[in-house]
Amino acid sequence: MFDSALQYHESRIDRVQVVALCGLMILGALFVYSATMVSASASLAPWYNQSWFRQIIWYVLGTGAAAALCCVDYHTIARWSMIAYWFAVLLLAVVLFFGTVRFGARRWFDLGFFSLQPSEFSKLAFILAQAHFLSRPVEELRVPLIFWKALGLMMLPFILILKEPDLGSALVLLPTGLAMLFVAGTPRRFLVWMFVCVGILGALFVADVLFMPVKWQVNLEEYQRRRLLVYFGTQDSPPAGASKADQARLRRQQFDYSHNVRQALISVGSGGLTGKGWRQGTQNALGYLPRSVAHNDFIFSVIAEESGFVGSVIVLTLYGVVLFTGIRIAGQARDRLGKLMAVGVITLLFSHVFINIGMNIRIMPVTGVPLPLLSYGGSSVLGSLIAMGILQNVHIYRKTY
Amino acid sequence: MLIFDQLKKDDPHLRLVAIAVLSGLGVLLAGLWWVQVVSARDYQANLETQSFRTVRIPAVRGKILDRNGVALAESRPTYNVSLYLEELHKAFQAAYSVKARRAQAELKQNQKELEKKLHRKLTKAERKQFIFTLQAQILLRQQARYEVASNVVLQVNQRLRQPLWLNPTNFERHYETRLALPCPVLTNLNAAQIARFEEQSTSRIGVDLELQSTRNYPFETTAAHILGHLRRDDDSKEGEESFFSFRLPDYRGVIGVEYGFDKELRGTAGAKSVLVNNAGYRQTENTWSEAKPGDNVVTTIDLRLQQVAEHALQSVSGSATRGAAVVMEVHTGDILAMASSPTFNPNSFLPSLSPADGQRIAEQHAEENRATIENYQPGSIFKTVVGLACLEAGLDPNATIDNPGYIDVGRYRVHDLARPGTYDFHRALKMSSNTYFVDKGLHVAGISNIVKLAQRLHLGERTGLPTRQEVPGIFPSLKKVGANWQDGDTANMCIGQGPMAVTPIQMAVLASALANGGKVLWPRLVDRIETADPTVGAPPKSFPATRVRDELGVKASNLQIVRKAMLADVEEDGTGRAAAVPGMSICGKTGTAQVKNEHNETIGETTWFLSFAPYDEPRYAVVVMVEMEARRGSGGGTCGPVAKEIYIAIRDLERSAPGKPQTLAKDR
Repeated sequence: MFDSALQYHESRIDRVQVVALCGLMILGALFVYSATMVSASASLAPWYNQSWFRQIIWYVLGTGAAAALCCVDYHTIARWSMIAYWFAVLLLAVVLFFGTVRFGARRWFDLGFFSLQPSEFSKLAFILAQAHFLSRPVEELRVPLIFWKALGLMMLPFILILKEPDLGSALVLLPTGLAMLFVAGTPRRFLVWMFVCVGILGALFVADVLFMPVKWQVNLEEYQRRRLLVYFGTQDSPPAGASKADQARLRRQQFDYSHNVRQALISVGSGGLTGKGWRQGTQNALGYLPRSVAHNDFIFSVIAEESGFVGSVIVLTLYGVVLFTGIRIAGQARDRLGKLMAVGVITLLFSHVFINIGMNIRIMPVTGVPLPLLSYGGSSVLGSLIAMGILQNVHIYRKTY
Repeated sequence: MLIFDQLKKDDPHLRLVAIAVLSGLGVLLAGLWWVQVVSARDYQANLETQSFRTVRIPAVRGKILDRNGVALAESRPTYNVSLYLEELHKAFQAAYSVKARRAQAELKQNQKELEKKLHRKLTKAERKQFIFTLQAQILLRQQARYEVASNVVLQVNQRLRQPLWLNPTNFERHYETRLALPCPVLTNLNAAQIARFEEQSTSRIGVDLELQSTRNYPFETTAAHILGHLRRDDDSKEGEESFFSFRLPDYRGVIGVEYGFDKELRGTAGAKSVLVNNAGYRQTENTWSEAKPGDNVVTTIDLRLQQVAEHALQSVSGSATRGAAVVMEVHTGDILAMASSPTFNPNSFLPSLSPADGQRIAEQHAEENRATIENYQPGSIFKTVVGLACLEAGLDPNATIDNPGYIDVGRYRVHDLARPGTYDFHRALKMSSNTYFVDKGLHVAGISNIVKLAQRLHLGERTGLPTRQEVPGIFPSLKKVGANWQDGDTANMCIGQGPMAVTPIQMAVLASALANGGKVLWPRLVDRIETADPTVGAPPKSFPATRVRDELGVKASNLQIVRKAMLADVEEDGTGRAAAVPGMSICGKTGTAQVKNEHNETIGETTWFLSFAPYDEPRYAVVVMVEMEARRGSGGGTCGPVAKEIYIAIRDLERSAPGKPQTLAKDR
């Protein structure tokens, strides 16, 4: 599976992390299989057209890309980072006009064999650019202008992704950028200020969605508003004087809105300690967990239902290993550029994991954030593996030769 | 270790990142532990309620058999043509998407045309009418479903060569409420239809035969009151799981043996679980517990006699005859036949009673078993009891009285239908002389002796039949006749009127007691209960014959005097001549009681014939009772011929079963 290029550096890659990544990819292939091979029509498709096989292809391609990335020193990559960043921003802008609409959002380029989701790659480009930008001497970071520039670097893709709309992908940029600013050594007062501002804005936003009359509300997509309402457990109160039928309809509607969340929770919970066994889960097979999301955003529900708490712990452990080897890599990095890159990748990965698993057990609102390497999807898998490639790159070139 | 190495790092920034990551993972772990370990059971319960539907499957109801093993009530398999909706799911959706596309295109087209006409873009409010609304979608879905389903039904039509129509409301209701179950289209197929359906089984998508068990009474109205009838009742019975999502049709006995032995006949309902998908369609089925078929109830009824008794009874005035006939075995108390008229067809109650039938049954009181549930005054047949009481009190049967054609008791005059003349006991009973029995009852026996004898006959008490329809009758107690009791009351009672009432079944017990030497028996309607397959399972539960309830406690010689007089009633020139059957010496007593309204006007007559036979060796008691209009009938003239027909049948049956002449009871 591993490229010759990778083997060349074999002695210097972080093997523990690679083992954990392989574990995640195996689980990913297994459970994408389980999540998709439930209907007769799915199993009738030729094997090379089936999701699990395509997922494996993406694993191979991603691993190849990561290995290729490891051939060049990350300093060389960093030199191209601003170009990559602006290219990504361009793509994000273009997709707003020319992208394909799916589930009410314009996030994809339809390339026939594969739909490209530019936001997945723009996250990486942002990490590279931000790391490159922040790797300047610490003293310069004290200059407010630099701070504002760094913030602008983050806000540009953030706003564009928010526009798609893809709230989840946009939100993961925030902790990533913040962590990088923090680790780079930005003065604390800047960060505190930013924290306070973000906090106030966030609280205002939530309060606005939940409590304000309709005409005072920010312009959110209906489904986004609904998801937030579901998350906070509030419901639209029926208009005064509504008939019984109307009230019943409204209740029914709210029940439907919370459907995904409830079904995900039932899937996870009914898995119990040891799960129902691979391909034995009923929630997905019977269609309670919507088929369109079971193999990507809600893959964790499938894993948790079929392998139980034990499986969940294994998944968490694998991510934990990847994350902590990542932090070790950051600590051992040759310079601040490498360290910032590593921290960016770790925070991005962690944010994805936290938000995705969190929404499966209802501690986070539902947002379309994939679970790295487990969720089905070319862009996500490629993006995640390239990110891992960057991490390994920092590790490989941690010493100057 | 990997984690602690990171936490110990002296780079404070990275340490904070490591702590944040660790606590994040910790939160997730705690959350997962809470959901998957602590509250797993709740979620599993949730999963079950949303994806499992439980179905109650009633057991096959046991048979009700006559004494010779002929089934009077049985459950036979019937076939329904049913739609299996889960197989049509795809077709429903395909039909819907075609319709939806067409509807959307049409809306767009209409909008364009309107814009062209107005030469401008429509405003937002105007555009509203061209939106493909949720209501429209629901309606289209309904239409698509119905179209697909009725197409399938059409194919079944052609196959069965029988016009069928799928009722849209029923179909929609089934879809809404019972989606996980097959939807019946045509119930109760006949053999030819089943064959046609099976032979052209090329395309059977979404439609198939469904097996059901249906109660059937092959002899229609015969023994209807004994068997009783059923009523739809899907409820769980005691000792059963009480929660089901769906219940298949089940029935419960309302009256008759169906009621009395409902628990045994019903068996034990089974249960299955149906796994349904998120749209509510059935995926798989799993039987939790098999239904255990009900037991068979073997009655003491002889179908042949029952049919004769019913026919004989209805020969009085057709199906409008109001009356009852009971044939009892005098030594065992077995009820061989118990007819009641007007009658009903228990089949007509299934699956539900039509309003017309219901009205007829209500008007005629046809559900009532007149042999057990109505109070009737016995009239002169009660003279057998009064006569016995007199004989026991020392009456000389040969002593005669002069009968002027009436007798005065205080201010009250009792007329005698018997001709004036000289009467001894024999002649008085034969001719049913009121004068004689009022006189002797008052002056020889006395009211308390009559009451004591009646108490040993358990008049005024139920005979304990398991048919739910029984009244105890009316008979005054010793205490009641001790105080405030007039001679007039006694006189009335001596001729079987006044404050007393009996049922034909009680009179059959009386006739049996006279015949069998004084044993008052419990009548027996059910012989035994056996499992559906008598060769396996628990041994049958038998109800013993000849359960003696009481003894008359009268001298055999006195009984003999009464019997002789009763024989003369039929064989000589008595009132019961019409019942005489050549080759069978029948002992009988006729009776007619006037039915009066509250203004003391006669509104009807209860005519009776109480009998047993043969005289030498009594085996059968036959009691016939017919309600007549006033002055239209008499015990001998109305009921005598009915009894005669029954006795002829008994004689013929005994003759046709050589080697077993003893009784019909052993004729199995």
